[in-house]
Amino acid sequence: MGSALENFVNQVRTMSASGSFRELADDLPESVSLLARNWSILDNVLETLDVQQHTLGVLYVLLAKLHSAATANPEPVQIIQLMRDFVHRNNVEQLRFAICAFYETCHLFTDYLVQKNLSILGIKIMARAVDQIRQIDSQLTPIHADLCLLSLKAKNFNLVLTYLDGDITDISTAAAECKTQQQQQSQHTDANNDAKYFLLFYYYGGMIYTAVKDYDRALYFFECASQPRPMAMSHIMLEAYKKFLMVSLIVEGNIAFIPKNTQVIGRFMKPMASHYHDLVNVYANSSSEELRILILKYSEAFTRDSNMGLAKQATTSLYKRNIKRLTKTFLTLSLSDVASRVQLSGAAEAERYILNMIKSGEIYASINQKDGMVLFKDDPEKYNSPDMFLNVQTNITQVLDLVKQINKMEEEIILNPMYVKKALGSQDDDLTSQHPKTYSGDPTD
Amino acid sequence: MQSNKYNDLLDRLENEELEQVELGAEVYQQLMAIYLYQNKLANAKLLWMRIPDKLKEDKELLHLNQLNLALQNNNFAEFFQKIRYDWSECVKPTMEDLLVKQREELFTLTGSAYVSIYQNNLLQMAQMTEDELKNAVAALDWTREQDGDEVIWLPKAKETPPTGRNDDQLLKLTEFVTFLEN
Repeated sequence: MGSALENFVNQVRTMSASGSFRELADDLPESVSLLARNWSILDNVLETLDVQQHTLGVLYVLLAKLHSAATANPEPVQIIQLMRDFVHRNNVEQLRFAICAFYETCHLFTDYLVQKNLSILGIKIMARAVDQIRQIDSQLTPIHADLCLLSLKAKNFNLVLTYLDGDITDISTAAAECKTQQQQQSQHTDANNDAKYFLLFYYYGGMIYTAVKDYDRALYFFECASQPRPMAMSHIMLEAYKKFLMVSLIVEGNIAFIPKNTQVIGRFMKPMASHYHDLVNVYANSSSEELRILILKYSEAFTRDSNMGLAKQATTSLYKRNIKRLTKTFLTLSLSDVASRVQLSGAAEAERYILNMIKSGEIYASINQKDGMVLFKDDPEKYNSPDMFLNVQTNITQVLDLVKQINKMEEEIILNPMYVKKALGSQDDDLTSQHPKTYSGDPTD
Repeated sequence: MQSNKYNDLLDRLENEELEQVELGAEVYQQLMAIYLYQNKLANAKLLWMRIPDKLKEDKELLHLNQLNLALQNNNFAEFFQKIRYDWSECVKPTMEDLLVKQREELFTLTGSAYVSIYQNNLLQMAQMTEDELKNAVAALDWTREQDGDEVIWLPKAKETPPTGRNDDQLLKLTEFVTFLEN
């Protein structure tokens, strides 16, 4: 046994020294089981390797350590320390030869931390790992999902939000990486996992935004997660779809658009999310009373899906929406009238709702306590204030940046040999190549 | 900048939380106080959720959480009641700032949301004595009216002073026009 490990160490050392990392990366996967079997002496192996010089070797030892964590039961602090050390001192150039193994290590590490209830300590490590492995800032990697999961488990979103706020323009997938590394044997499962981590990233991201009450952004994330592209349906998509419906009610008050590929939704999702569709229909009737009864009726199902909180938020949003509707019809209304029209318990509660809505800028009104009346006003924004100018300014800048980004991406696609071949091949006339813009709408084509 | 006042401290504390296992109640107290001051109520709520159970018995943390709940529900009366508390040294300055800020906010809000408001209700909301209120209101130039036995205040909406510089705006507009023309 000992000699096999010695062989491993020697192999890592000689091949790292001679710079043949590709060969090393191809050989190493075979030694994982050997390493995992010898979990008890892995620490000795680690001592003989240097993180900076023998990144690949250390990576596989870590992987083996995490694989054997269930039997070896190591000290969590030690594992965390090893991981922290690894992500801070490794050699990224070498790491790129074994990206799949790195992703796997990160996934296992995440699972391990979640199991041990120490998620909060992993956030920084994962963030650092993401920083290292992504090639550009807007690239999505499978370990983004791990970062999100750790943050959700730890209920600490300060760091992860900086990763979520940026737009994603590129996706790094384990399948693509592995193809270049000729590890075909595991490619099929990797492709499935890629889809899983992609969906998970958007699903978790949506949950994080919901938790910090950024519903617009949450809606976008849930939409991404429930937009089914593959032929088969995933459970993540279903759950994301349920949450999508709920958040959509809170943000828009109705379902503004059903995600594309309605066939999958019609056939699989709708029947499985029937409670949620009932809720959407009742919400459309604008009757708070009916909505309340329905939520009570389905409370068990909502609680089981842990969507009860969202259901309650939807109720509040309906009250607000109904008050908002009143502002369109009336100029003045007594508080008790408001209460009876939107089915609130009394004038005092109506006043509280209106005050809150004025505070958050949802309506413009003033309350006259002397007569118990409320005066609805128009939006006082005349679009002539410096603040508004600044607002418009930031929006313009954003759009300009977006235009630049799109132009850049379009250029990349036009220059892509695969695309040129397809564009020319599928259509015989030369028109297409002269007007490549007609294709820019669908980059996957 | 007033609102950036605690940013450095906040960064440091957040970092500390991400790297250490056993934290004292003090870190959480300060974090909570700063979140409240910066009006990051969702963060404060999440913080409360991740505070270890055994620390939740800490009196001051309990109290801070009650403040957060009051703020979330927009319950001014309860907020001003709860903030009157013998805070420990580490959060005291933040709490004082918070009180000033919330008072100001309350009066701006009532100023824009009410045409008239009974003095009793206002006193209840602000948790002030009549004299304190009189002083605060006098500074805002509100009108006083008598309705039977009750005093009614007619608030005056606050006007926001113009900000920003003209040169800057002109420059940006030129940039934009250049873009449109190209």
